[in-house]
Amino acid sequence: MGKKWFSRLLLLVTAVCILLPAALLLVWSVTGRWPWPRLTPETYTLRTLRELLFGSTSLLRLLGSSVALAGTTAVLSTAVAVLTARATELYRFPGRSLARFCGLLPLLIPGTVFAIGVHLVFLRLGLADTVAGVLLVHLVTALPYAIAILTDVTAAVGANLEEQAAVLGAGPLAAFRWATLPRLVPGILSSLSMAFTLSYSQYFSTLIVGGGRVRTLAMVLVPYIQSGDRPLASAYAAVFTGSALLVFALFEWAIHRLERRGEL
Amino acid sequence: MRVKRMLTLLLALAMALSLAACGGGSGEGTGSAGLDLEAASWEEVVEAARGTTVTFYGWGGDENRNNWLNSAVADYVSERYDITLEVVGMNIEDILAKLAGEKEAGTEAGSIDMIWINGENFYSAKENGLLYGPFTDKLPNVEAYIDTEDPETLNDFSMPIEGYEAPYAKAQLVLYNDSAVTPEAPASAQALLDYCRQYPGRVTYPAPPDFTGSAFVRNIIYEVCGWEQFQDMEADYDTVKAAIEPALEYLRELNPYLWNEGRTFPDTSTTVDSMFADGELVMSMSYAPFTVATGIDQGLLSDTTRTFVFDNGTIGNTNYMAIAFNSPNKAGAMVVIDAILSAEVQLSQYETLRELPVVDADKLSQEERAAFDAVDLGQGVLTQAELLSHRLPEMPADLVPVIEEIWLDEVVGQYND
Repeated sequence: MGKKWFSRLLLLVTAVCILLPAALLLVWSVTGRWPWPRLTPETYTLRTLRELLFGSTSLLRLLGSSVALAGTTAVLSTAVAVLTARATELYRFPGRSLARFCGLLPLLIPGTVFAIGVHLVFLRLGLADTVAGVLLVHLVTALPYAIAILTDVTAAVGANLEEQAAVLGAGPLAAFRWATLPRLVPGILSSLSMAFTLSYSQYFSTLIVGGGRVRTLAMVLVPYIQSGDRPLASAYAAVFTGSALLVFALFEWAIHRLERRGEL
Repeated sequence: MRVKRMLTLLLALAMALSLAACGGGSGEGTGSAGLDLEAASWEEVVEAARGTTVTFYGWGGDENRNNWLNSAVADYVSERYDITLEVVGMNIEDILAKLAGEKEAGTEAGSIDMIWINGENFYSAKENGLLYGPFTDKLPNVEAYIDTEDPETLNDFSMPIEGYEAPYAKAQLVLYNDSAVTPEAPASAQALLDYCRQYPGRVTYPAPPDFTGSAFVRNIIYEVCGWEQFQDMEADYDTVKAAIEPALEYLRELNPYLWNEGRTFPDTSTTVDSMFADGELVMSMSYAPFTVATGIDQGLLSDTTRTFVFDNGTIGNTNYMAIAFNSPNKAGAMVVIDAILSAEVQLSQYETLRELPVVDADKLSQEERAAFDAVDLGQGVLTQAELLSHRLPEMPADLVPVIEEIWLDEVVGQYND
């Protein structure tokens, strides 16, 4: 009984810690002035909504390109990570631990250093200022996380069931598809969400490699944060967070649909 | 042993990668449509620019300016010259880093056409060959509307421009506070000291090298030491320090009465503005002289907020438009820059953004001048005439970083005994 009470309290505190700042974001996005020590804003404004909906930057197009870019990054990096994790966890070969380590290498280099260096290389390869270039950079940024998540999950799932399926006559593809993949689902979901978030919130690397030509929501949001237009920055941040949550929900929904239809 | 082998492998990998990076040839794209810009007439330049796209890179944190560029200016050049203007928000340091990277990689056709720039950034960009020029002597509107003898047309932070950038808008340091909170508007260094004593802990300024904070410190130096001696001073730490010693003493005198007792300073002018808006500070400052009117309009500032300057004047500077050395569309960039220098666009900028125009009042026609005079600047601001009569020239660009360094050594958290 006491234990239940405690866990409920913990849940409540956590919820407040997460939801309160998010709610504040919504309030700030229609706030004019909010001087200390007032508990509520002194004036409200619809300027930010006007700007979001009818301003010179088309919000829908920005959202579309950001979600498409981050979604592609999420799917590609998860696919690569599933295969990488299989290779390093289920097979024994010389240099296995080196390969495992190399998957995490991008974490060791600070993001800004990486962006500037890769920009030079991409300039020569003709990838600078292109969507493909930005996608590649986002992939490299997201991969270590996706690989780390799926390495653990793959190790936990192991190869036993797959071997069992093989013994019963399933081909390697079918064995993976029906014995392993369904049990990787939680890991795949986390990896998709993580990679999506990483790509969605990339600012500096998109700026440098995309050269300002590849426009994402973060590219418009960050200057407003820097310039101290708090209402407008809050409004953009609310859209940013809301749209990311929506995509997570979509990932979840799609996978559970597949599960219910018996395809996973 | 194993770690060592791994490191060797890594090093080898890194070297292979960097070799690959150096090896790839460049020589992509020829850029401008084969027009010899040096020899071309203005008509030929306009003709070459027709139907092209021009990118304009600059700070993107001003919603009003973004909208104005994307609507008023974009429409103007599209109707007149069939040019598509693409505005890209990027901080000047990132723009220069990008250009420097392209220069190193030998990219002949980059992606940046026009750049919003001034001061030290212009100086270093020009020194490092990141800008195209000279080009301003080609522009008909420079001849038609700009005072070519004006020191701010010839020099940017006392560094010769030599035709590598054209004026965009004028800025001037102003101070502002809320007359309903503090009736005083300190118009001199002495008055400011009294003001800080009266409202201890509620005044501060952004820490240099913040653009506005740095200008404020230079302005205090002008107040205490006069401005003339700095125009040709050598950018040497000891020389400058000796010259500004009285100002340093004054700034240390302020410290005990400042926010957090001058032990720390807010990192950006943005923070100071927010602290003022929240009522934590009683005074703020800006390089945009009509910022109070915009703030009142947007509901960010109360309508009793008012602007003031020092009686002895405040520092003004101009910001400019330049063209990247590897701009793929130099002709288009020149046409857009020329369009922004027209009386029509400058008037629209004055009206919509409340920026001081760069056109020379003496070169305007009767109607044009009347239109400028008729602009309603809104509440809480000084008139253009008041500002210009209190305008002091900037220091040479190379003194700026020296002063910022001295401020860090001699002012932060230090007190006179």
